Amino acid sequence: MEIDLLFFINLFLDTLSYWWVIVPSIFLGLIVGAIPGFSAANTIIILLPFTLIMEVEVGLIFMIALYSSSRMGAGIPAILVNIPGTAGAAATPLDGYPMTKSGRGQQALAISFVSSTLGGLLTTVLAIAAMPILAKVGFYMHSVEMVVVMLFGISLIASIAAKDTLKGLIAGFFGLMIGSIGADHVYATPRGTFGFLEFYDGVPLIPALVGLFAVSEALLVIEGESVLVKKKQIEEDHSSWNETIIGMKIAFKHWWHITWNSLIGLVVGVIPGAGASIASFVAYQQSRTYSKTPELYGTGHPPGLIAPESANNGVTSGTLIPLLVLGIPGGATAAIMMVVLQYQGVNTGPRLFLDNPTLGYGVFMAMFVTYLFMLLTIMPLSRYMSRVTLISTVYMSPLIISFTLIGSYVPRTYMFDMYLAFAFGIIGYIARKTGYHVAAILIGVILGPLLEQYMLRALKMSDGDVMVLFRSDLANVLWIVLVVTLSFPYIMKKFRSRKDTPPDKPEGQENVFAKD
Amino acid sequence: MGNEPESGSTDNSANDDVRVSLGGELILPIMALVFTLYYFSTIVDSPWTAQVNAFMVGSLLISVIVLFLLRMAIMVSRGEADLGLGNLLQPAKLLPSRLIYIVLIVLYLLGIEWGGGFTISTFLFLLCAMLLLNKGKDKAFVLGLSAGLALLGYGVFIIAFETRFPAGPFEKLMQGVF
Repeated sequence: MEIDLLFFINLFLDTLSYWWVIVPSIFLGLIVGAIPGFSAANTIIILLPFTLIMEVEVGLIFMIALYSSSRMGAGIPAILVNIPGTAGAAATPLDGYPMTKSGRGQQALAISFVSSTLGGLLTTVLAIAAMPILAKVGFYMHSVEMVVVMLFGISLIASIAAKDTLKGLIAGFFGLMIGSIGADHVYATPRGTFGFLEFYDGVPLIPALVGLFAVSEALLVIEGESVLVKKKQIEEDHSSWNETIIGMKIAFKHWWHITWNSLIGLVVGVIPGAGASIASFVAYQQSRTYSKTPELYGTGHPPGLIAPESANNGVTSGTLIPLLVLGIPGGATAAIMMVVLQYQGVNTGPRLFLDNPTLGYGVFMAMFVTYLFMLLTIMPLSRYMSRVTLISTVYMSPLIISFTLIGSYVPRTYMFDMYLAFAFGIIGYIARKTGYHVAAILIGVILGPLLEQYMLRALKMSDGDVMVLFRSDLANVLWIVLVVTLSFPYIMKKFRSRKDTPPDKPEGQENVFAKD
Repeated sequence: MGNEPESGSTDNSANDDVRVSLGGELILPIMALVFTLYYFSTIVDSPWTAQVNAFMVGSLLISVIVLFLLRMAIMVSRGEADLGLGNLLQPAKLLPSRLIYIVLIVLYLLGIEWGGGFTISTFLFLLCAMLLLNKGKDKAFVLGLSAGLALLGYGVFIIAFETRFPAGPFEKLMQGVF
């Protein structure tokens, strides 16, 4: 079969005919994405019996549409109530929630939707065009390089909580230690488990996510009558379509920002295991570092919302590249897709594009069409979604607590996980009240086991020689990028303060003031 | 709300005469320190493969905590800060209801574990929590809302999605119907 323009046009038209699967899946994905602890992966697992009896194309399109829209859906509660639907949206509230608090929730949702959709569309087109080349990134990322990438992610924690780097580091390293709980990879020695068997497989991420974000937030919101500061409620209550249009305009004005950050998402997504959470924080950090107004980040600054939203949607196509080209799933949802494909007798890997190019490229075309439909169907909803913020916390808080705690029960059906989510909720509450970043703790928990895994692999290959971390050219380049990224904000800060310093006063005048 | 530092340190910057209360900020580092030392105690006799990562990360964590404590000690010795809890327990008027709320959450979890199941436990929790936070107002509305939400959860998750939620008397009773 010849892969030319006609092939892609036919594929596009063919995928469009599956609108009856795509549109309902988009709404389902939005809903499940917006419920913390209830990810696309969970939903696909729950609906696995249906997926398996569907035709392979229909099943794939259903999973892809659900996956893409849930990524966008996760940003909704992150913006409106400061609770990311998934870990991938953990950087979204940094600027999205302050926008909501200042009565610009509808605008923030419009910005998020445009950034997500354009980011997703762009990276999908790029993935289709450059998939075989991009897949090679996975070949170069060995354990040593992955250790550096992990450390890169961790070092961002301190930078993200830049108001107090020490606190950021404490939160991040504490998260890493929590993430190290469980049996060790070689001898299965239990470590830091407090004697609980439920910890032997490590700390489950869903209870950690639910507790640190949802439960702690629910405990905190009861301090106010609604999520909004009272005087801003009136503005939100009277918001019109104009807010959505303003939000869209802001997003389109930052088209270059969307392009750049969705590319970051695409590249990070290709790295197996890195995922949307790392991509969104990397994008946020890069956006702030190279911004002319970094001090505005964290105060409801639109580029601070655009960066993570376009990046985490860029990841969706990225994670599928190693799955389809190498047969290595880039994340949980990709792994579930792989199981379904194998059940249907489709083997992913280098031969997929030779044996069944319609299916291989069809995955990305399904994603492209999904994002196209999302642009048309979701945007009108932003006006009504922002009304969530007007619900009284009296009703909101207990609802969040009950439905998210029960959500933490779903993946493993352990009562233990509900108690664990509650414990994380208390930790998160203390962290929030005392100025520690809950996102830093969560990123630590996510990266903890991955760091250990890659570190051990690297050390084993070098018989315990730590210098192995500096023997790879690519790793050394990454080290340099790490150092530059960490030091750049300080250099820029110094440069700016020097630039902003008023000209020296005449010597005589200075002495007069000194005497006073 | 959540992403802004809400420690006492931020409240007092405008007034030089008021000391910053840093006691609340000590809770998390102390928890982290105690946990790290406990973690070390569980791997002392383990093979190096089980130790290397934890000792590396743990040492870094302890170093950062020591730096943080040093900074705090300097501020306290200069009279710039004290060890009060800051706004950790603020607003004070909400403290009793917040404590009762936390007790209700624990009771909710115990209710599910002791056989109450999802629907009944959720209904009772929502009812009690909403009445508590609403100071006993709008009883009929709260009753209807709690029942409606619990039943909605049952309908969507257990009936429609067949999610394995904890089953109790209500779920078992309804099993005969659905």
